[in-house]
Amino acid sequence: MQLQMSQINTITILTLTGRFDAYSAPSVETQLKHVSEQAPSYAIVDLSGVNFVDSTALATLVQGMKRCRQANGDVYICGVQQPVRIIFELTRFDSVFRMFSTQAAAVEACFLKV
Amino acid sequence: MPKPKMTIALVTTYPPSQGSLNEYAYHFVRCLRDKAEVREIILLTDILPETPSIQYMLSTEASPVPIRVIPCWRFGAWTNPLRILAAIKKVQPDIVLFNLQFATFGDRKIPAALGLMTPACVRLLGLPTVVLLHHLMEKIDLKSAGFGSSIEHVIRFFGTVITRLLLMTDLVTLTMPNYVEFLTERYGVNNVALAPHGAFAETLTEPPHDVNSSGKHVVMTFGKFGTYKRVEQLLEAVALLQTQGRAIELVIAGTDSPNARGYLDAMKQRYAHVAHVTYTGYVPEEQVARVFEQATLVVFPYISTTGSSGVLHQAGEYGKAVVLPYIGDFAEVIAEEGYRGSFFEAGSVASLGQAIAALLDNPQERAAIGRHNYSAAHSLPMSDVVDWYLVHFQYLLNCKQRRKIHAVTDVSDKYYYHPHTHGTV
Repeated sequence: MQLQMSQINTITILTLTGRFDAYSAPSVETQLKHVSEQAPSYAIVDLSGVNFVDSTALATLVQGMKRCRQANGDVYICGVQQPVRIIFELTRFDSVFRMFSTQAAAVEACFLKV
Repeated sequence: MPKPKMTIALVTTYPPSQGSLNEYAYHFVRCLRDKAEVREIILLTDILPETPSIQYMLSTEASPVPIRVIPCWRFGAWTNPLRILAAIKKVQPDIVLFNLQFATFGDRKIPAALGLMTPACVRLLGLPTVVLLHHLMEKIDLKSAGFGSSIEHVIRFFGTVITRLLLMTDLVTLTMPNYVEFLTERYGVNNVALAPHGAFAETLTEPPHDVNSSGKHVVMTFGKFGTYKRVEQLLEAVALLQTQGRAIELVIAGTDSPNARGYLDAMKQRYAHVAHVTYTGYVPEEQVARVFEQATLVVFPYISTTGSSGVLHQAGEYGKAVVLPYIGDFAEVIAEEGYRGSFFEAGSVASLGQAIAALLDNPQERAAIGRHNYSAAHSLPMSDVVDWYLVHFQYLLNCKQRRKIHAVTDVSDKYYYHPHTHGTV
């Protein structure tokens, strides 16, 4: 999996490509932990290039979201494609996470919060 | 500003109760105690026979989260819904989680069914209610599970009614994806979610995969026996392998199923001629690791299944190779959860003997399967699974709060989970 980091003002954007699984989860976990330790604790995870997520990857996103929300921030998800969307729907995390179809929509929603 | 913490009531069996799912509850609570968002855990457990020495098994590690144990329901009693509702009204938790399988509240049809109506009643009190359902009534072979009857179609009908009542709660979680799909499609609901079983052990180092280099093999089976877990063919298969010159000890770890009292005593008498068989009886939590560690491999002598297997996860956690039957959705569990094993035709002693021998005679393959299962079992620790529940709990509490503020009265907006929602809470 490839992980690209970018920043729009104070919002961190993680753009992932490929398989998001137990092997690639630690790097995402580190970045989300870092976001939760800064203010404002908002991150956008762009999954538009991800074709597979496993339970460890979901657990990483959940932990990141918990940490950020604890710090009055959040983790927004955007660009989820079918196979990955199915996993979000099976776990009902499509209700729990704030999800957006595009990165631009997620950024706009973030700006309203920050 | 720190987020408000939640008080969670868990309706469950709990050690030293020997009821099904007690061990799952123990590990769930152990992890729940470490979570910052939990204010208090209230265990609404089954009432045990009065003895002066009953000590509830609580984590001995220092934790800021207090636990209250309130024994308030009794296995087999008809009054369990009233007792549980009274206890919940008294303690006023923020959220109620039920840890259930179809026979949690009784080994007879009426008390079992009445108990399963309780979650819907709690929901009617207005409390966010979540059900962790380990089995689906629709997927159970009732006869094998000890609920056989000439009026099976009537039981199936009431099973459907019970499932509908369970689905009246805010969220029903299941440990297998195909169960989620089944309920979603058959009942047309959205308040069903996958929450994987999770690994009990938090060990970071991989255990050895072949502890019996001395040449003596320990074949072990673990569970509550007499209904769909039966040891007759396992005993016969082990006797067969012993006659072929293999040094094998068979350990039958566990007790009778509540629906098959006296079964293991009958087996002891009937198979008294089989050498080197140990019946451990109930295995207390602190002894579970030793029982698994001493095993060369773990056998699942099932004639049908009721879904995901906690014992399979435990075998994986201890890096054990497993011998499994080709039946029902058990093979799907293996595939979906990433486990491997040596398979046998259910009902065939010869096939079972061959599957055991294939692993005993091939230490490399045994170790490879053990390593594979170890990886599968540790892919998602219980601590992470508990986090999944906590984010759902928080979501439900936020929804409830929002409804209070906006005084939502639209009855069509009965549930909090909707298809293809983009969370806005």
